[in-house]
Amino acid sequence: HFPSTEPGAMAAAAYELLVLGGGSGGLAGARRAAELGARVALVEPRRLGGTCVNVGCVPKKVMWNTAVHAEFIHDHADYGFETPGVKFNWRTIKEKRDAYVRRLNDIYENNVKRAHIDIIRGYGKFTADPQPTIEVDGKKYTAPHILIATGGRPTVPSDSEIPGASLGMTSDGFFELEELPRRSVIVGAGYIAVEIAGILSTLGSKSSLLIRHDKVLRTFDSLISSNCTQELENTGVDVWKHTQVKKVTKSSSGLLDVTVSSAVPGHKPTEGVIQDVDCLLWAVGREPNSEGLCLDQVGVQVDPKGHVVVDEYQNTTRKGIYALGDVCGKALLTPVAIAAARKLAHRLFEGKQDSRLDYENIPTVVFSHPPIGTVGLTEEEAVAVHGKDNVKIYNTSFTPLYHAVTQRKVKCVMKLVCAGKEEKVVGLHMQGLGCDEMLQGFAVAVKMGATKADLDNTVAIHPTSAEELVTLR
Amino acid sequence: MLRGLGARLARHGSCALTGIIAHLRLLPPPRTAPGAGLLCAGAALSRGKPKSAIINCKNRCAKYCPSYIPLPSSWAVSIPFFHVVFTGKNEYDLLVIGGGSGGLACAKEAAQFGRKVAVLDYVEPSPQGTAWGLGGTCVNVGCIPKKLMHQAALLGSSLKDAQHYGWSISQPVHHTWSVMAQSVQNYVKSLNWGHRVQLQEKKVKYFNIKGSFSDPHTVRGLTKAGKEVSCYNIVIATGGRPKYPVHVAGALEYGITSDDLFWLKESPGKTLIVGASYVSLECAGFLTGIGLDTTVMMRSIPLRGFDQQMASLVTEHMESYGTKFLKRCFPTKVEKLKSNRLQVTWKNADLGTEETDSFNTVMWAVGRAPDTKTLNLEAAGVKTNSETGKIIVDASEATSVPHIYAIGDITEGRPELTPTAIAAGKLLAQRLFSQSSELMDYDNVPTTVFTPLEYGCVGLSEEAAVQRHGSDNIEVYHAYYKPLEFTVAERDATQCYIKMVCLREREQRILGLHFIGPNAGEVIQGFALGIKCGATYPQMMKTVGIHPTCAEEVTKLHITKRSGLDATVTGC
Repeated sequence: HFPSTEPGAMAAAAYELLVLGGGSGGLAGARRAAELGARVALVEPRRLGGTCVNVGCVPKKVMWNTAVHAEFIHDHADYGFETPGVKFNWRTIKEKRDAYVRRLNDIYENNVKRAHIDIIRGYGKFTADPQPTIEVDGKKYTAPHILIATGGRPTVPSDSEIPGASLGMTSDGFFELEELPRRSVIVGAGYIAVEIAGILSTLGSKSSLLIRHDKVLRTFDSLISSNCTQELENTGVDVWKHTQVKKVTKSSSGLLDVTVSSAVPGHKPTEGVIQDVDCLLWAVGREPNSEGLCLDQVGVQVDPKGHVVVDEYQNTTRKGIYALGDVCGKALLTPVAIAAARKLAHRLFEGKQDSRLDYENIPTVVFSHPPIGTVGLTEEEAVAVHGKDNVKIYNTSFTPLYHAVTQRKVKCVMKLVCAGKEEKVVGLHMQGLGCDEMLQGFAVAVKMGATKADLDNTVAIHPTSAEELVTLR
Repeated sequence: MLRGLGARLARHGSCALTGIIAHLRLLPPPRTAPGAGLLCAGAALSRGKPKSAIINCKNRCAKYCPSYIPLPSSWAVSIPFFHVVFTGKNEYDLLVIGGGSGGLACAKEAAQFGRKVAVLDYVEPSPQGTAWGLGGTCVNVGCIPKKLMHQAALLGSSLKDAQHYGWSISQPVHHTWSVMAQSVQNYVKSLNWGHRVQLQEKKVKYFNIKGSFSDPHTVRGLTKAGKEVSCYNIVIATGGRPKYPVHVAGALEYGITSDDLFWLKESPGKTLIVGASYVSLECAGFLTGIGLDTTVMMRSIPLRGFDQQMASLVTEHMESYGTKFLKRCFPTKVEKLKSNRLQVTWKNADLGTEETDSFNTVMWAVGRAPDTKTLNLEAAGVKTNSETGKIIVDASEATSVPHIYAIGDITEGRPELTPTAIAAGKLLAQRLFSQSSELMDYDNVPTTVFTPLEYGCVGLSEEAAVQRHGSDNIEVYHAYYKPLEFTVAERDATQCYIKMVCLREREQRILGLHFIGPNAGEVIQGFALGIKCGATYPQMMKTVGIHPTCAEEVTKLHITKRSGLDATVTGC
């Protein structure tokens, strides 16, 4: 049954929940609310699935898997396989990847339709109506609950900051590449920069990674930050440290010349030009999709960077309007947005007053080569919180069994950060083969408050890399 | 996994062999424990010297060894404490028989506490003549070579996937057994060496000798160096070896076991593996994966003792992967043909028919047996289970003779797993020499079967949970999921399945977790920790997933079996 149309709304149907954004968070919130009996509409101008499905986790991991095959191919001979004349064709994987993403788009669309959620195509923005109202292509919609889940997008420096910056692409453009670039320059030290540099380099593009300081992933634990920088260099990525782009020009051949300045502390800055670049990729951060929403019309506050300000229940500063996911700028991860959205749906439509996501101890994986897994506090953070004397660190570094018989050796490093007398595990950081799949279970235990003694009491699984975590001494 | 430990000791561990006999002599002390009735099974004895070996105070015993074991008073009186009379030039606080995972871990741990420790290890060649170095089953003929060959097979499959990922690879891809085997064997040899170096560094004396009890206080062995050794405590950790069938003609003559497979210099070719244990399925899996014509013959159920729904999925996947299965069949004879191929005759129990086929290799994987009789345990008075032949131990790993302990595959009722043997060995050494009282906890031991699609599990099977708690009192959450790496590769994910068995009451404590999929070994370890910590279903759900991984599917389980709803995962 449909509730009667609310006054002021021009739409035929009245909704209990309007969701802006058909990405991971928006879809999860819309579907869960619908499951709980709410009448829901979803506003999305583009293909469903948002960043994750279209230009994020999913196609990224497909490309990472592709690159992993490149690594395996080095090892085949060591394991007895003769594989002469191996060639890589970027177009093949691009087509398959696109087809897979399309399939997911369709699945999402079907899921939404099956849940009787209306899809409103277009960009939504708030109006000045007294009741919070959304206008899409001149049509107005309203509902007692409105969820902002519009996500974010990669940042590109302006041409005024860096002349010619707009000649570069972002991670969005990476997924449109029709050929493997011959010469790639990736700017940035975050996980997106690390992942894309790793994929391009492993697949055979000569790649340079330009970072402002001396290490990548500077917000991660120092072990990961150092080790990842080292591994990038080991796999052939040319890491330019203390380096910034000064300008970008297009040569007559259509390729880019990237002028950079390197300023190692204590040394005179030097300038150089990276020539004939066919892929300049900015991975210098992401910004929220909030400015086109006319949030000021409804008094929804944003921070100086444009992130929507929310409380721990995802409430914005305007009653009845909520926000979650990347647009809020906190823990930019698909599962976080999904979990927050479902919690919110249960709060709004099932009366579960306390339903909210706990943002502590969220596990994260970086699909670098080899992958990184991390949850909880870094050593530095733990020392700051608990004091140096109350923090105990367990470390290990080893060569995984897989590499026992291979010429190519990639080590695995692990760090356990424990706090207090009972040695509660407050952080876990690792990089190595299998760390991507290894982390989840440990994250459950960390969330539960596991201690070092609990790890010691868990029987190992032999032979795995994960067993090293329960046999740390 | 082929796990386990302990190189086997001599079949004839007696003085019939040439060389110098080492007498390890343990004699009763001059006095018996006054007014005993209580006897400390571990720690007090460990103090070893005749004086401290006498327990005369219940409190003291309890203080140092809360694991004290009340004994019948008659025993306490009639069986006095043992202490050592030094009959040789060397004296040892601990003698470990068997240099496998458990024995080595126990020996090294004891040495850490400054104790004098000796390890006896001798590998009796297999019936086909295969022998190996220090380190036991795991290192030489178990986990390590098995996992490496499993990796080789995974690489074989990855070559097929790679083509979907844009790699063109000229077909057919050829695999050369000898290249793989050589690398694996070289690596194993480096581990043998590594173990010897470690023993040396930790000042553990290693004897490449066979040992056997000649009476409760004496272990005899043949030493190359011609030295006599003596000791205070004895740990038996000689592990197990694959069994041969008794009533199949030609079985012993022509068949190999997992003791031989990893050391073959040439490809086994078309192979029949008899048995449906994890050893059988793992070996059949990697042989199939490297391109060999492989058949598994099973009389009854696969993976006995494991959750049977999962076991069926594992074999189902193997069938789709190319492994052939002869179900409800049992072999009757093996003959060698003029072509050197082996002709196997078997009966089909369902059809009542007799069938034959010829193979290059026949491998028996019909179970493993402890080789206790070579130890001459009767002479020591160490009791064994008459059915299994395994040594009966208590919670502190003590045998029926208090100063003799046993750990690992040779013990009755313990999992045949390297990590449990290692952990038990270390804890035993700590109790013996470091005033610890901590016992090995054998609950919630996780394990992984490294079949082509790996199967990892921890805790109870669904059957065991039903039996223990009743089907009305358990809730099973399950999901059929598709690993992202399978999508582009167009691989069938029918058997990628997760099942979590919980109590149904409010807290929904997790009783068991079962996971089939890539990297199951790496996935299940952390969850095993959570379950060891007493994780409940809501706690599992509270953890944010890691996207996109297979492991995250565990934290997304929400369909109960009871609901009858479709458990297929759709979308993120």
